[in-house]
Amino acid sequence: MSDLEQRSRIETAIERVMRRDRLTRRAFLGRAGRGGVALGALMTLPGLLAACTPESANKLNWLNWELYIDETEDGSSHPSLDAFTQQTGIEVEYDVGLLDNADFLAKYSPDLRAGNPTGWDIMSPGSWVVERMARNGWLEEIDHSKIPNWTANSADYAKGLWHDPDNKYSVWWQGGITGIAYDPALTGRDITTFDDLLDPAFSGRVGGFSDMRDMFGLTLLSLGIEPANATVDDVRRAQQRLLSVPAGHFRGWYGNEYYESLSAGDLAISVAWSGDISQMNFYDNDKVKFVVPDSGGMRWNDNLVIPKGAANIDGAHKLIDYYYSMDAAAMVSEWVGYFSPVAGISERVLEDAEATRPDDPEWADTLVAIAPTLVPTPDQIEGTYADKQLTEEEETEWNDLFEVVLTNLAPA
Amino acid sequence: MLPGGGWLVVFFALPMALMLLVSLQTGTFDTGYQLTWNFGIYPEVIGQYWELYLRSAIFALTTTGLTLAIGYPVAYTIAFRAGRFKNALLLLVVLPFFVSFVIRTLNWRMILSDNGLIFGTLKDFGLLPPEYHFLATPAAVILGLTYNFLPFMILPLYVALEKIDRRLIEAATDLYASRAQAFWRVTFVLSLPGLVAGSLLTFIPTVGDFITAEVIGSGNPQVFMVGNIIQRKFLDSLDYPAAAALAFVLVAAVMGLVALYTRLVGSDRLTG
Repeated sequence: MSDLEQRSRIETAIERVMRRDRLTRRAFLGRAGRGGVALGALMTLPGLLAACTPESANKLNWLNWELYIDETEDGSSHPSLDAFTQQTGIEVEYDVGLLDNADFLAKYSPDLRAGNPTGWDIMSPGSWVVERMARNGWLEEIDHSKIPNWTANSADYAKGLWHDPDNKYSVWWQGGITGIAYDPALTGRDITTFDDLLDPAFSGRVGGFSDMRDMFGLTLLSLGIEPANATVDDVRRAQQRLLSVPAGHFRGWYGNEYYESLSAGDLAISVAWSGDISQMNFYDNDKVKFVVPDSGGMRWNDNLVIPKGAANIDGAHKLIDYYYSMDAAAMVSEWVGYFSPVAGISERVLEDAEATRPDDPEWADTLVAIAPTLVPTPDQIEGTYADKQLTEEEETEWNDLFEVVLTNLAPA
Repeated sequence: MLPGGGWLVVFFALPMALMLLVSLQTGTFDTGYQLTWNFGIYPEVIGQYWELYLRSAIFALTTTGLTLAIGYPVAYTIAFRAGRFKNALLLLVVLPFFVSFVIRTLNWRMILSDNGLIFGTLKDFGLLPPEYHFLATPAAVILGLTYNFLPFMILPLYVALEKIDRRLIEAATDLYASRAQAFWRVTFVLSLPGLVAGSLLTFIPTVGDFITAEVIGSGNPQVFMVGNIIQRKFLDSLDYPAAAALAFVLVAAVMGLVALYTRLVGSDRLTG
């Protein structure tokens, strides 16, 4: 293993522990692979004080997840944002302070509840957070007449979703699937069902997720229940299913760290995120396979929303519209590599691959490999389901039930 | 007294009082939590999570014992036998602190992985069955904790041993004490302040640690510590009152244990 690869593995591992949510590993390694990791750029907290800067029609403050947008090789700027500034004259203060959905909600809800500005014009939370923010009246409505690119280019799978059926408050940023990944050499057979996760043959080498929604979602599906219709009794059955295996069957309940354990061969089979595994195949372990279990996988996405109190609502619309243009979407996708909301993105990335081949054949090959993974296949759409829209009471009940799985303590 | 007292108020009493108030609130995250003096939360969280407190205490005590067993000979060697290498050795003890806690813990996970440096080699030699794993077990977490907190034991012990007047040991041997007797009745007794300080500096952070159980323990229920449930309640379930109550009980329990401990060994040992 080269020095650079070793470094990037460790850095990625650190990232994964520090952030308790989905990591866009492709972007991270994409940059590492293309020479020079600017760790300094990751460590700084740019725009920490963005919330305090004066409001202006020529400024826009955007809160996003780390490694979720294209970057220059030294990590100092984002080409797609620079192009946006050139086109519109709007300076974007881009911040990667969104580390965890629940944490995010906890941090901004006091201001939103009190009607104070959060300092952000645009944010990129997950779907259940969007639903909750909309329900509480914390989001500005999106004016569809101002985002013609969305109307023209949004793929069908990326609009009209459960958390916001009319896209009144949100549009898709990037998304993916939660399913199962395994190393055939370690499992000794192909994996097709959720039941395989519970097979005693793999005891001690099975990874689960510490994310309640993903883990209960997959388990409910294995019981033939669509998560969106699940009752608390159904969830109790799902809980019993997860508790039915002997202690130690699941080696642990992982956050982002499952990636390292799976790629190192410590886990034979694990719950996994789709984008991670295609990336693992490129850079760390090409034997691991990702499958959507027969009973179904979970589909998720992050969104662009405009919080109440935003200073530059007009600029936020311009930004949303911009990222639904093919040019901007391709710039992002070639770095980020999750599901893009823009129809025709795969074809565009393939074109870019051929255009770049004379200068950088290696990168062209990578783009060719990435292109088909930027869009969910019909099978993936057919076999995947969305989270349930939980009331607060349900959320507490589901969390309590899941906590028993995590701690193995008898419920109170 | 005043500067010390002020320090305590600002950095300890005030945060603790705030946490106590949070723990006595009821409500929901969306509607906000209101202070209702819900003292019932305390029996509730203790009844539900006492096993996690017990496990954390056992892990922390074992860790303290192990750091003492490893740290004492190290500190002794540096203080009495290192000669001109003393500073170099001390630097080696402190050196790991130049790298962040999380990074070091992550590296241990790589070292201890199933087919990693240690267990991969042992398996290659047929000394372990291929399906054996060490990560995500209580022993692995205790090892990680011991590694992480070892310097906190070594440094106070070194300071205590270093300032022992060598003439006292010479006097003991002159008076026909065997080397073992001289050690146990002079050196060891005089090093007790360092031992007490080292134990506290190791035990207190260990009992509330959650990183090691998460990284080396992979979130396995068998290694779930009280710090992990506090973190989960604060950040994932957004159940602030229960999280605050759990944290408050932890701090109170640790203070109780420390008070008992210093009472048993004598608080003068702390200051020497």
